[in-house]
Formats: sequence, structure tokens, C-alpha cells
Amino acid sequence: MEQTNVQNKEMTAQESLDLIGEMLNNSRKSILRTSAKYFTMWGIITAISSLVIYFLWHHTGNPKWNFLWFVLPLVGYLIAWFFGKRDAAIPQNLVSKQLGKVWLVYCIFMVALCTALAFIAPNYIAFMVILLLGFADCISGVLLKNWPVIVGGFIFGVGGTVSLFLIKGDAGELIFLVGGIILILTGLIINRQYR
Amino acid sequence: MLPKLDPLLHSELRLAVMSILSDVDQADFSYIKKQTDATSGNLSVQIDKLSAAGYITVEKGFKGKMPCTTCRITPVGIEAFKNYVKALKKYISVGK
Repeated sequence: MEQTNVQNKEMTAQESLDLIGEMLNNSRKSILRTSAKYFTMWGIITAISSLVIYFLWHHTGNPKWNFLWFVLPLVGYLIAWFFGKRDAAIPQNLVSKQLGKVWLVYCIFMVALCTALAFIAPNYIAFMVILLLGFADCISGVLLKNWPVIVGGFIFGVGGTVSLFLIKGDAGELIFLVGGIILILTGLIINRQYR
Repeated sequence: MLPKLDPLLHSELRLAVMSILSDVDQADFSYIKKQTDATSGNLSVQIDKLSAAGYITVEKGFKGKMPCTTCRITPVGIEAFKNYVKALKKYISVGK
């Protein structure tokens, strides 16, 4: 990030406006690069979880390994809490707060739906998680005014849900690997956008 | 007639502090220091001036065992900042 050494000198009107723009821009970059880190973190956790669950399900033939998905939010929030302690000095702006709320709502919906569907229609859990993940990623793209994130979220949400009808059994688990990669890419795109 | 520029905001470091605070809920002293690359002493003096004018509030506390100073822009500060930007735009439009 470009660092500006600010003194106490008097400025012209244009210099003042330029300084305001520069300060806002630099501050937004710092804040949103911190948000990008969380996208990447959740993406890595999702991708690793999908590979582990696929491996266990494939080798044991037992779909009950899917219950390991409930561990994901726990692990994710523990790591996020650890990162959060290090990033305590980074403030929140409107966009970073809205992003946080979108993903909090996603997590609440995901845990509530997975818990309910586990008892009544376990086969639909993956559909819901993928649809909601694509939806949350798409809204994040809208907040960030970033077309690649909007399109990526849409393709994953709609394409992933449709694909689940075509892919049967444990191979469907690998759709979540794509979901993890989409989140990692979202993090990298935000990082690049606000470098 | 051109409006008078707020002398409190028409200083580089104070304007930088107000610009940062205008976009966030609150910010730590360390964050503002990093963003402006100012010295602690100079930044403290300018923050005190903004606080005395009622443009920002300053809260001193602790994060764990570390002392922490948190700054927040006030409604008066937001209004002053808006008026200052409006005035700047008028100066620039007249100059063109």
C-alpha cells in the first residue's frame, strides 16, 4: 500500500480534495484486504473438508461422514477468532460490515437448514448449501461492485445445484471442492482489486 | 463570495484524520498513525484539537493489557467535514 506521510502544512483546495480521496482510498484498501483474508480462509477450510469427507465416504461407503460438515463452522470460527485478534486494530467500514452480515446470515441459514434436513430429507442438504453459498458469494460481489465475483457466485450456485442432479453418490461431495475454490478465488480477486 | 474554509480542517494531518474517520465507525490511534505515517506526538496534538472542537470523540481504554485510544467522528464533525468538502468544490469550480 502506498503510505502517505502527512504533515501540518497548509494546502490548496485541490490538494485538500486529493488528500481526502487518497486517505479514503488507502483506508478502504486496508479494510477490504482484511475481508479478503477471511474469504480465502473459509475457501481453504471448505476445500479441505470436502476432500476429507469425500475420501472417508468413498473408502468406507458410509455417507454418515457428511456429519463432519457440522464441524466446519466450528473450526472456521476458531480460526477467524484467532485472525480477528490479530486484526483488532483494523476498523470496519460500511462494505466490510455488510459482507460480515451476509456471511453470518449464510452460516445461520446453513446450520439451521442442515440440522432440519438431516432428519427429514438428508439428500437435499448439499443442494441447499451450494445454492446458499452461491447466493452469498453473488451478494458479496454486488456489495464489492465486482463482476467476476457476481458471475462466479451465480455460476456456482445455479451450476452446482443443477450438477448435483447429474452426479450421484460420494462424487457429489467434490462440488464443495469447487465451492471452496470459488471462495479462495473471491478472496484473491478482492485482494487484487484493493491492492 | 467564496465560503471561508474551516481552519481546523484546513491542515493536512487533521484533514487526513477526519477523512479516515468519516468512512469507519471508529478507529484506533495505531491505525490512524499507520495510515497517515505521522509521529505519535504530532498525531496526539492534532487529535486533541479535533476533540476539543467536538469533531471527534476520544476514548482511552485497554485491549487486553495494552492501552488503546479509540477515535470516532461526531455528528458535528460529519457536518463540518461535509461543509468543508462543499467549500473546496466551490473554490475549485471558481478557479476553472
